[in-house]
Amino acid sequence: MEAIATRPAVSCCRRAAFTGVRHKSTAARTRRALKIPPHPSFLNSSSSTSPTDHTTTDQIIYNPPSSAASVFHTPFKFLPKSDPRRRANLASELLAASTTIQYPSSSSSSSTTPSTSTQPQSDAASSSSAEANPFPSIEGAPRYRARHHLTKADIEEMRRLRAADPATNTVQALSARFQCSKLFVMMCCQAPPERKEQVRAELERARDRWGPRRAAARDERRARMGMLFNGEL
Amino acid sequence: MKRLRLDRWTGQLLLARPGASPASTPRAVLRPAVAAPRCTAVRCQSTGAVSQIPGEVEDYHDGTDPIRFPPLEQLPPRATSLPSPTPVRALQSAKLAALHARLSLPERLPLQTLARALVDASADENPQFNNTNLAFVGQTLINYHVAEWLMCRYPRLPMDILYAAMKGYAGPTALHHVARSWGIEHAAAPGGEVDPGLLQFSMHKPGDAITGFGYRRAEIEGMKKYKWRHGMSSRVVFDDDFGEVVDTEQSKEELRARADTEYGNEYTRSLAEKAYATCARAVAGAIYAHAGRDAAKAFIRAHVLSRTLDLSRLFAFKKPTRELSLLCAREDFEPPVARLLSETGRLSRTPVFVVGIFSGRDKLGEAAGPSLEHARNKAAMNALKSWYLYSPGEAVRVPSDMLADDAKPWEPAYIDMGEIIGR
Repeated sequence: MEAIATRPAVSCCRRAAFTGVRHKSTAARTRRALKIPPHPSFLNSSSSTSPTDHTTTDQIIYNPPSSAASVFHTPFKFLPKSDPRRRANLASELLAASTTIQYPSSSSSSSTTPSTSTQPQSDAASSSSAEANPFPSIEGAPRYRARHHLTKADIEEMRRLRAADPATNTVQALSARFQCSKLFVMMCCQAPPERKEQVRAELERARDRWGPRRAAARDERRARMGMLFNGEL
Repeated sequence: MKRLRLDRWTGQLLLARPGASPASTPRAVLRPAVAAPRCTAVRCQSTGAVSQIPGEVEDYHDGTDPIRFPPLEQLPPRATSLPSPTPVRALQSAKLAALHARLSLPERLPLQTLARALVDASADENPQFNNTNLAFVGQTLINYHVAEWLMCRYPRLPMDILYAAMKGYAGPTALHHVARSWGIEHAAAPGGEVDPGLLQFSMHKPGDAITGFGYRRAEIEGMKKYKWRHGMSSRVVFDDDFGEVVDTEQSKEELRARADTEYGNEYTRSLAEKAYATCARAVAGAIYAHAGRDAAKAFIRAHVLSRTLDLSRLFAFKKPTRELSLLCAREDFEPPVARLLSETGRLSRTPVFVVGIFSGRDKLGEAAGPSLEHARNKAAMNALKSWYLYSPGEAVRVPSDMLADDAKPWEPAYIDMGEIIGR
């Protein structure tokens, strides 16, 4: 961006307000004005700091950026035991945690030399995988992991509670009480039909309050999700 | 302005309609005759037809002056009264010889058989003169080769995707395009006087051709009326090679009801598609009959399996994240976690999130999307597709390779343990 600010043509025009109008009569000035140095991220940063040191770095900048990997390329983990590609890559798999992608251990170390980057990765392989991964998870941890701790009596109790007072003992309340997932609660018991009708009526009332724009936006969102699942997006 | 004397024309169009009466007025020629019976062609080979209508044994004559308007081709006697051209005329047809040369068919496949492969069952009901038998052999061969190739090349395809892929390679639409790409043209109407190099099928009757395996389900009425669910297991057992319900009665009734309404509707198009597909199958069957197994396999490889079908676009998912976690649980992988790899413009109108799905430290799939939920679902779909589309290699051996004399010992192909979720 600083290259654009220090264009010779811009300063030229500003001066021209005092001394007279200077037209771009030839193409030379335009060509010179449009000659912008590349963005610093495109330049080799290590060579600019120390011009005498001409070490080759294995850093590649993809411009345009790479697209998503083809689904016909099977990840290492998905290769069956008998596959020769798995046998060929098994040695490197044992050394590093993953042969498919070698990630740097910290997100800021994008320009580290290979000698320094291998050291933290071998450390990361020995430590637990969840801590080692530098990328943040976007899904919250499941609230209740399946522990298979509920007995038949517990399930009977859950059903009784749900049938007795479905408004208080909602799926969420039952899942918090019995320390199990909501899906498991829904697998165990069902709301009585009048409660279902009540919930449906509430939803209907809320839907009636929507204006045309909100309704259309929701419809579009649903359609977009459907297209995504059909592979059209 | 002079009136067109259509009754004086001697073109193939008028000749090709055996039902047209000799003294037909121009108006009667233009209008599709609804009341008149369409198929009054007489089979002269069968004794019954000759004894019933002895007056039609003479050659067809439309009332034109044969000296002023000589016929385009010297037809053998009684040719116009036959439903399909006689096998003798196959040797004189330039179109047929050109098709034979264009497809580089083996010398051992005679032109008469190729001509028979172009006669659909709707044009000629006699199975000794139409292509039903050849098409049945050809269809069996094509489906076998496509199925074994798909199973060895993509061993993890779910059954419904496998059915869709089978249909994409060997279904009627695909074979219709194959036959069209061979340069086969069709006659306006079938008859004994048309060029044997033209595909002949009737727009007005579906024809009785058995061209597939499969059973008619006992519960088909309920399936049609109440939309009963039919799962994948029953589709494997009962339905045809493409996993589609066998329902010959309904399709025939529909065709009977709609065929004579107007010209060029979707039913006539589907009839044409079916006739072209049957013709392509019949050519494959004819090659098998005359030139043997290897020639037929090479022909199917070159014309059917060489076509490009993007298998990754056949997939549709309902809950991809759940399916992926079930897969990881089944295969003893660490549970999948969606991680944000990079993002831009989170607060802007058009944000882009790149999300990768990791199992432990291995990345299973990656996708970019306009929201976190979109990108996560898409990444899970990509991971599942890369599981399903695993392939042992480009040049994978199929069981029919072992039929060659100098075949190397067979190495067992990779077989997947089964589907992740029931569909």
